[in-house]
Amino acid sequence: MSFQPKALVLPSGANNTSNASGRKPVRRNRLTTFAWEPWALGMALLLAWQFIGGTSSAEGNPLLPSPEIVFQALLSSLPELGRGTVSSLLILLPGYGTALLLGVSLGLLAGTTPRLARTFFPFAKVAAPIPPTVFIPYAIAVLPTFHLSATFVVFLGAFWPIFHNAAAGALAVEGRHRDNAWVLGFTHAEYLRKVVFPASLPHIFSGMAVGLGFSFILLTVAELFGANAGLGRFVQYYADFADYPRMVAGILYTGVVTWGAMSLLEALRHRALFWLR
Amino acid sequence: MSRQPHELSVESVDFAYGGAPVLRDIHLHVAEGEFLALLGPSGSGKSTLLRLIAGLEQPLRGQLSANGVPVTGPGPDRAVVFQHYALFPWMTVGDNIAEAIAKAHPTLSRKERRALAREHLIRVGLGDVAPRHPFELSGGMQQRAAIARALALESPFLLMDEPFGALDPINRARLQDLLVDVWQGQTPRRTVVFVTHDVDEALLLADRVAVMGANPGRIIREYTVPFARPRKRTALFKDAAFHRLRENIAEALDEDTLAHLEAA
Repeated sequence: MSFQPKALVLPSGANNTSNASGRKPVRRNRLTTFAWEPWALGMALLLAWQFIGGTSSAEGNPLLPSPEIVFQALLSSLPELGRGTVSSLLILLPGYGTALLLGVSLGLLAGTTPRLARTFFPFAKVAAPIPPTVFIPYAIAVLPTFHLSATFVVFLGAFWPIFHNAAAGALAVEGRHRDNAWVLGFTHAEYLRKVVFPASLPHIFSGMAVGLGFSFILLTVAELFGANAGLGRFVQYYADFADYPRMVAGILYTGVVTWGAMSLLEALRHRALFWLR
Repeated sequence: MSRQPHELSVESVDFAYGGAPVLRDIHLHVAEGEFLALLGPSGSGKSTLLRLIAGLEQPLRGQLSANGVPVTGPGPDRAVVFQHYALFPWMTVGDNIAEAIAKAHPTLSRKERRALAREHLIRVGLGDVAPRHPFELSGGMQQRAAIARALALESPFLLMDEPFGALDPINRARLQDLLVDVWQGQTPRRTVVFVTHDVDEALLLADRVAVMGANPGRIIREYTVPFARPRKRTALFKDAAFHRLRENIAEALDEDTLAHLEAA
C-alpha cells in the first residue's frame, strides 16, 4: 500500500482522474488543508473557562470570572492599559535596544578576536547566569529614577543571550567564508561587517528572541516592585483590590502585547534571513 | 635555483595536521601562463598543497613563492575558486563580483564597478544574473559566477580546488570548456593550478599534470600533456597517445597505492 502524503494539494482538474497507482486522488481544497486543530483547542479552552467561570451574574466563580465579565473589564480598562503599554514600552525599547547594539557588537568582536575571547568569555560565564531579578531592588535603591533602574534590568536580561549568541555565530562562521574574505583581501572591519555579521544573523535572531522574552519578564517584575504605571503594575494594582476580572484582563492583554512583539521579531527574521529559505 | 617572474615555486615543503604528516618534501614549479593540474586520490594532500600556495596555511618546512615573492598569506594576486560556498550567499551575484573588482580597481565608482561586474558575468555566460542571489542559481551557474569573481580580481595566478566536482557531467563539461575558453582568451595568460581527482579532466585541461600519491602526500611524477589545443573530447578519446598517457598515469597511481598497501 503506497503512502499518500496528507498535505498534498492537487490541481483542481485532478478530481476524477486516476493517479499512477490507479486510485482516485482525494480532492483537496483550502478548507481541508486549513489547520483547524489549534482553533479547536482554543475553542475547547474557551468553553472550559466558561464552564469554570460560571455565569456572568454575581454568583459566578469569584476566582476565575467568566469570559464575559473579563471581557467587560478589559474593555473598560483599555485606556489605562493603553497608557500602561506606552509606559512599559518606554522602558523596554531603550533597554532592549541598547542590549541589542552592545550585545551584537561585543559578541561579534569577541567571537572573532582570540584575545578578546580569552579575556571576556570566562567573565561572561560567571556574570551571565546571575538572575537579573536580584538586581531589581538594588537598582531601584541606587539609581535616581525607577525608569532608569527598570531599563537597566531589562538591558541586563537581554544583553547576555544576545551577546552569547552573537559570539557563537561569529565562532561558527564557515571556514570557506573566512578563506574567501581573506583571499579577497578584506580588512578586519570589512570582514566583520560584510561576512561575520550576515553569517551570524541566524544565531543573533535566536538570541534576540530569548532576550525579548527575558525583557518582558524582567520588565513586568520590575514594575511589580516600584512602578506607578505599566502592564506589570496594572495587575499588581488590581490584586490589591482583589479585582480578579481586571487582573485576568490585564494578563490576557499583556499576552497579546508580548505575542505581538514576538511576531514582529519573527517577521523581521523572516525578511532578514531571505537567503536561508 | 633561479626564480622567474610570474612563476610559482614550491621548495622542500612539509605540512602536517596535528602530528600526522600530510605533505612531505614537495618540490613544484609552475611556469608563467602554464595550466598545471594536481591529480591524485583523496588524501594525497593536493587540496592542502593548493591552500599552501594560496597562503591559507603555512608550511611546516620549506618555502613557497609567487612572482619571486615569498607566500606569507592570501592575497589578491592568487585568486581561489572553491568547490562549495564559493560565493557569499547574502550578497547578490553582482555584489560578490563587485567585491573582487573593488580590490583590483580601488578607484572605480560604484556605477563603474557594477558595469564591470556585468562584463565579467557576460564573459562567463551569466549576463542577466547580477541582481540575483546565489541560492537562486543552479550549481553550474554558481560556479560560473565564482569563476567570474576570481577573474575579476585580475590576479596573475588562478587556483582552483576541484571546482567542478559537485556538478553533473553535462555542466562539468560545459564549465571545463568555458574555463579553457576564458583562460586562453586572456593576454597575458594567467597561471592556473587546478586540483582534480579526474584523470580525463586533467588531460583535457592542463599543459602539465603533477600526479600525487598519498601517505604521505607527495608528487610521484610529472607529465607533460602533448595534445594541441583546442582539445575535443571525441578526438582525444580516439587518440591512442591519449590512452597511453592515461594508462601511464593510472599505473603510476596504482603502483603507488599498492606499494603502500604492501608496505603496511
